[in-house]
Amino acid sequence: MTNHWRDIKHADVILINGANPAEAHPVGFQWFVKAKLDPTKGPGQGGGAKIIHADPRYTRTSALADRYLRIRTGTDVAYFGGLINYVLENKLYHEEYVKNYTNASFVVKDAFDFKDGLFTGYNAQTRSYDISSWAYEQTAPPPPPGGAVEGPPTSSSGFAKRDMTLQDPKSVFQLMKKHYSRYTPQMVSSITGIPVDQFIEVAKIVGEMGRPDKVMTIVYAVGLTHHTTGGQLIRSGALLQLLLGNMGRPGGGMNAERGHANIQGNTDHAISWEILPGYLRIPAPGQRTLDQYVDQSAAKKSDPNSWNFFGTNYRNFMVSLLKGWYGAAATKDNEFAFNFLPKPATNSSWMSIFDQALKGKMEGVILSGMTATSIGPDVNQVMKALANLKWLVVMDPLPTTSSEFWRAPGVDPASIQTEVFMLPTTHWIEKDGSFVNSGRWMQWKEQVIPPEEGKARHDHWIMAELFDRVKTLYRQNGGKFPDAINAMTLDWYKDPKKPELDEIAKEINGKDLATGKQMASFALLKSDGTTTAGDWIYTGSYTEDGNLSKRRNGVQDIAKNDPTGMGFFPQWAWSWPLNRRVMYNRASADLDGKPWDPKRPGIQWNGSAWTGDVPDYPATMNPKDPAAWLPFIMNGEGVGRLFSSSMLDGPFPEHYEPMEAPIPNPLHPNQSEDPVAFLYDQAAGRPNRFGKVDKYPYVATSYRLTEHEHYVTQHVPLLVGLQPQAFVEVPEELAKEKGIANGDRVRVWSERGKIEVAAAVTKRLGPIKLAGSDKPVYHIGIPIHWGFVGVSADQNPEKSKFWLANALTPFVGDVGARTPEFKAFLVNIEKID
Amino acid sequence: MPPAEHFAAPPGWEWWILGYFFFGGLSGGSYAIGTLLRLVGTAADQRAARIAFIASFLTLLPCPLFLIADLGQPLRFINMLFDASNGGFAFKPWSPMSLGSWALLGFGLFSFVSFVGAVAESGWHAGDPIARILRGTVGAVWNVIGTAFGLFVCAYTGVLLAVSNQPVWSDGWPLGGLFLASSLTGAAALLLLVARSRRDVDAGTAVRLELADRNFAILEAVLIAVFLVTVAIAGTIGKMSGVWLLLWLVVVVGLVAPFMVSRLDGARRWAPVTAPLLALLSVLALRALVIFSAQT
Amino acid sequence: MAAFQERPMGFFTDTSICIGCKACEVACKEWNQLEGNKPELLLDSFDNTGQLDAQNWRHVEFIEQIPDNNGVVMTPTPIAGGQAWLMMSDVCKHCQNASCLEVCPTNAIVRTEYDSVLIQQDVCNGCRDCISACPYGVIGFNEKTGTAHKCTLCYDRLQNGMQPACAKACPTESIKFGYLDDLQKVADQRVAALQTAGYKKAELYGRDATVYGGLNAFFLLMDKPAVYKLPNTQNAVLPSRNNFAGYAGGFVTAVVGLVAGVLAFRSQRMNEKSDAAR
Ligand SMILES: Nc1nc2c(c(=O)[nH]1)N[C@H]1C(S)=C(S)[C@@H](COP(=O)(O)OP(=O)(O)OC[C@H]3O[C@@H](n4cnc5c(=O)[nH]c(N)nc54)[C@H](O)[C@@H]3O)O[C@H]1N2
Ligand SMILES: Nc1nc2c(c(=O)[nH]1)N[C@H]1C(S)=C(S)[C@@H](COP(=O)(O)OP(=O)(O)OC[C@H]3O[C@@H](n4cnc5c(=O)[nH]c(N)nc54)[C@H](O)[C@@H]3O)O[C@H]1N2
Ligand code: SF4
Ligand code: SF4
Ligand code: SF4
Ligand code: SF4
Ligand code: SF4
Ligand SMILES: [Mo]
Repeated sequence: MTNHWRDIKHADVILINGANPAEAHPVGFQWFVKAKLDPTKGPGQGGGAKIIHADPRYTRTSALADRYLRIRTGTDVAYFGGLINYVLENKLYHEEYVKNYTNASFVVKDAFDFKDGLFTGYNAQTRSYDISSWAYEQTAPPPPPGGAVEGPPTSSSGFAKRDMTLQDPKSVFQLMKKHYSRYTPQMVSSITGIPVDQFIEVAKIVGEMGRPDKVMTIVYAVGLTHHTTGGQLIRSGALLQLLLGNMGRPGGGMNAERGHANIQGNTDHAISWEILPGYLRIPAPGQRTLDQYVDQSAAKKSDPNSWNFFGTNYRNFMVSLLKGWYGAAATKDNEFAFNFLPKPATNSSWMSIFDQALKGKMEGVILSGMTATSIGPDVNQVMKALANLKWLVVMDPLPTTSSEFWRAPGVDPASIQTEVFMLPTTHWIEKDGSFVNSGRWMQWKEQVIPPEEGKARHDHWIMAELFDRVKTLYRQNGGKFPDAINAMTLDWYKDPKKPELDEIAKEINGKDLATGKQMASFALLKSDGTTTAGDWIYTGSYTEDGNLSKRRNGVQDIAKNDPTGMGFFPQWAWSWPLNRRVMYNRASADLDGKPWDPKRPGIQWNGSAWTGDVPDYPATMNPKDPAAWLPFIMNGEGVGRLFSSSMLDGPFPEHYEPMEAPIPNPLHPNQSEDPVAFLYDQAAGRPNRFGKVDKYPYVATSYRLTEHEHYVTQHVPLLVGLQPQAFVEVPEELAKEKGIANGDRVRVWSERGKIEVAAAVTKRLGPIKLAGSDKPVYHIGIPIHWGFVGVSADQNPEKSKFWLANALTPFVGDVGARTPEFKAFLVNIEKID
Repeated sequence: MPPAEHFAAPPGWEWWILGYFFFGGLSGGSYAIGTLLRLVGTAADQRAARIAFIASFLTLLPCPLFLIADLGQPLRFINMLFDASNGGFAFKPWSPMSLGSWALLGFGLFSFVSFVGAVAESGWHAGDPIARILRGTVGAVWNVIGTAFGLFVCAYTGVLLAVSNQPVWSDGWPLGGLFLASSLTGAAALLLLVARSRRDVDAGTAVRLELADRNFAILEAVLIAVFLVTVAIAGTIGKMSGVWLLLWLVVVVGLVAPFMVSRLDGARRWAPVTAPLLALLSVLALRALVIFSAQT
Repeated sequence: MAAFQERPMGFFTDTSICIGCKACEVACKEWNQLEGNKPELLLDSFDNTGQLDAQNWRHVEFIEQIPDNNGVVMTPTPIAGGQAWLMMSDVCKHCQNASCLEVCPTNAIVRTEYDSVLIQQDVCNGCRDCISACPYGVIGFNEKTGTAHKCTLCYDRLQNGMQPACAKACPTESIKFGYLDDLQKVADQRVAALQTAGYKKAELYGRDATVYGGLNAFFLLMDKPAVYKLPNTQNAVLPSRNNFAGYAGGFVTAVVGLVAGVLAFRSQRMNEKSDAAR
């Protein structure tokens, strides 16, 4: 989240897309309700914030929404694109903001173009773009806004050309206008299925949020990410927010409701393969020196007044990380052991791992707190992959379909060669440590129940032990490239085999090696090897004052703990970066530093300093100073990017159909799907297994229910009682056609596999009529929570044979994060009798 | 008037309760008839009167057992009479179950004494003082009060059902009267049965019992009608149709059988016990019908 | 923690902000150590609990009223959000005039210092008269304990100054717990706000004396009470309403019956007399 949970209560409009907060984030949903019940919020005269929910299904969130739009799955780019178009055409955008706080004025290279669903530079063979044309015209630095003089020194090769009138046909603004002019209400309706009149009504409400005294938040989750167009789906929302001037403002922002209680922490600490902690890029092959790495990874200034904080400090952060990891072994002369880092040549995202295993290129896999064979996609193929391993280690407090895959229904254990080890770990309730929530708050939690002695072990202790033994083996028998292992520092821990989580938190913050004191801020990190930081964005979380995530000064004394009255509660836990509660908050105030909306200030300039939230800006930098930084301090532009070259599938979000779609893309039928989505099967020389609409006429989407947490709660009887067995939701009209009654057992199958579950016949899913087509599109809803282990599976061994939702899902990912397309695929359905 | 809305859950009163309602009714009814025979009957009727009192007590015996067996905490049956939380009496006149519990206790006393008296009288103890007292005015008064208790036991079971929020039950306030009437019908039939199977009962008495039985049957029929009307008005009568029509049939047959015997030549040739047996079945069927149909 | 003041306390359950998360159901079971009935797939919308009973002292109802439409669900039309899919966390109403308390023969059911209605487990003998009396089908019979069970309004927690488990767990504050008079004020404001917002069907149930002299656990409903399986004001009647008519009917029948009997036995005497005269 750019903002945080509590902040949602400041919004006038809450636009929910691809999320079902009432069910997936019920506790966080209290803030939606608070906004709804607050008469001072809302469009027009107020009377309560308006919740607008777009979802293929009428969910428990829709039930409390003020507007519900039944949208065809995978089409939110068209929906957002339509809103963007409406806002631009009717000049509802926040002009001052767009001019000065976004790159609307930046002029793009002449070569850049978009035709027939493709941006310039596409290569059909490699299914990838050459993005050289997705860049700005370079010029000598122009006078910055407010007629500033010289900007600070810069490493930049030259600055981007800007046209503050926004009239240049090649300006981002004009290009954007052109790009989205195709997204007329009619077109939106023919793609999404949202009736034109409903779309217009919503567009009016949303458009009003471009006023400085109004603010809208966009809330999303995996209903947007689980698509081959996931990245762009989210960006299209961000574009809308930038146009409306809602980025950086309390009650605004682009807010991802994260998954597991600590998935935000996981991400920050590099759970995904392509980054190091703190979103530093993983070194690429060929980057032999630290210089090369930094030069190719750090952003460049494209405006004299852009601070480009991340780019400028890239080296400091990287060196502090290396120093933290390799300590004494990291010296100036060996470039702080930069060469110890792996430089992966191949993609190692989730699907790639099992793809490699399928190809027989993997010896073994350690699954920790992750149920590969339930979470999919295409779990039948994932099981094959596991069967291809020599060994499999499952670290989990509970049996999972992965630890039991060798005895899955219909599998003959004798046929499985994989040796499976179960390492019982403690559950997170059985350890202390921190959860980082969607709002980036690092909150310490206490151990709830101690683990049974000898029955389970903490993950970090298992890891430490494992590491220790590997190290010993290297010592004894030598081996390839032992340095990286041997040099690893463990001096933060009293007992290196049993590190305390508090010690690890301390290590992550990092210290000043000269003084031995904990670092107070990442701004102080150095590139000379005198500072450490296990993850620079967490530097400041564990200072000389101790572990700040343990702070608990909250509502028990609001006057004292929330001085601004804006719900920042600066003494409650700690949020990155630097305890800032709303990111980009410089953008919450105008050029002079006055809040856009005095009723909802983020930070403001009081003449000598910035007050309010922890400023995303030098605390005493006078905004009127000609040399003052641009508002968005992190990126090279210094402003929000309406046009970005950092997306591999296009600088502007474009609507592409899911890999399995019921219709060809109305915008460009000949380029229906995302041109760069990664097709694993094809790439691996296996046949693509995508279903076509003739054999699989129905659209399926998969999702969660309040009552369960993925596959874990299948072991919790009380929760099993609330939703006892696997089922699918079937639109009443379709059920009639198929002679399916509520509670009947049905078979749902895709090109990959099948499930056999009960049918919940309901009007909450309905036929979707696409404008210009009379054939309704039916969605079938598939909750994900069941498999062949757990209470109900044990109680119904026969029934539960085919309960794995991911038997159906396609083995394909979006080009960036390689996130599977869990939310849109084609199936067929029939009654089992 | 819109149909009554019922959202109450069924209490799960089943076979034990049916048994209690049946025997409790016969017991109370028999006592009343015993009293009638004693006070307005001929000398020839006295043997039948004694049989009635004995029957009353014998049919009363299983009642407390059935009631206790039906409790979730049988040992706490005593809580019906004594308040376990403050040690005082548990007496709630507006709660039929509370009132009924006390009534049953009281009737038990009367029924028992009259039973002893009846046994004493019959033959070998004729000169016994108790017997003599009980044959005198004291006995008469005793019988009258006992009858009041007995008839209350017959009726309150119906009121108990009516004083609830169950469909059918709470829609039919006449249940009390209905159960009382059918108790009398049943009791008369029961005594007839005994009379028919024993030489020593005066033939005239038997004839009069038959007549009484028919009178009660008419009364019962009237009350069934009134009951059905109230339930129909409440709109819950549907609950008693369907499969329950079979039990209704048994009820009706039991009611008309005595009349057939007295009117139809064909029926006269039936075994003498047939009509009373059918009448008893009818009494049982009526209670089963009311108890179960409402709870399903 | 200090216990609450000995004043009427209860719930105001605002169904218009219930998200059907069932946290209340689970919290109640956890605190009161109810293991729940055997899991059963009811698929009554998202309800698989079924009803209030000995194992379920809170029960979240799901009522789907989504009209035929091409995906159009807009507010505040007749099918406004908060009206198309109703969710309501049902519970013992702790009635001012409590049917269960009225009929209980053992005085096991009492009114506490917080004005809640409580079944004393050590007194109840399992006669189940209260079950037949409760108009809301709240009470259930527990085979194991042989007694009747229902919501205790967390009597044990209240005595220790803790709010009921269900209210504490409710994320949206759909379940509001507190002193009755405070709750009533909040409820009046909320229903007024909904009315002006165009939710004409929004009404308070049990807030005033029109049902059972007022419910200490009262509700804001988004549709007619019957939709939520709640009797409306005409039908919210006490069992004792049938006491008089019932006994009177019995008395009349007794008199008529006795007369009928007398006639039957007398008649013969007449005949005998006439025989003797011949
Ligand atoms: N109760 C519960 N809560 C959870 C979890 C759980 O397992 N159980 N898991 C946690 C985790 S790990 C995560 S990632 C989050 C996920 O949180 P959410 O993303 O909110 O959960 P989902 O149910 O996967 O998907 C949300 C909604 O997206 C809708 N949807 C599907 N496709 C589209 C689309 O193309 N456009 C739009 N507009 N909507 C679409 C689905 O119908 C669904 O209602 O939940 C977290 N919270
Ligand atoms: N079709 C479809 N598939 C999906 C999704 C979807 O929406 N649709 N959602 C996807 C998403 S967003 C996610 S996040 C995944 C969820 O996928 P998973 O995260 O694999 O699902 P969980 O069941 O939460 O698995 C967590 C496991 O960790 C264990 N665990 C709990 N605490 C600890 C601990 O302290 N240590 C260790 N070692 N283990 C612990 C639990 O017992 C459980 O087995 O599913 C993905 N799959
Ligand atoms: S499960 Fe935890 S994280 Fe998820 S909503 Fe409930 S409280 Fe929040
Ligand atoms: S709701 Fe039922 S159980 Fe609760 S007090 Fe009222 S009558 Fe008694
Ligand atoms: S079951 Fe218990 S609480 Fe209910 S009426 Fe009988 S004794 Fe009273
Ligand atoms: S008040 Fe206590 S007992 Fe009653 S429903 Fe809530 S949690 Fe359960
Ligand atoms: S906890 Fe609150 S929101 Fe959740 S179901 Fe219960 S009442 Fe509704
Ligand atoms: Mo997730």
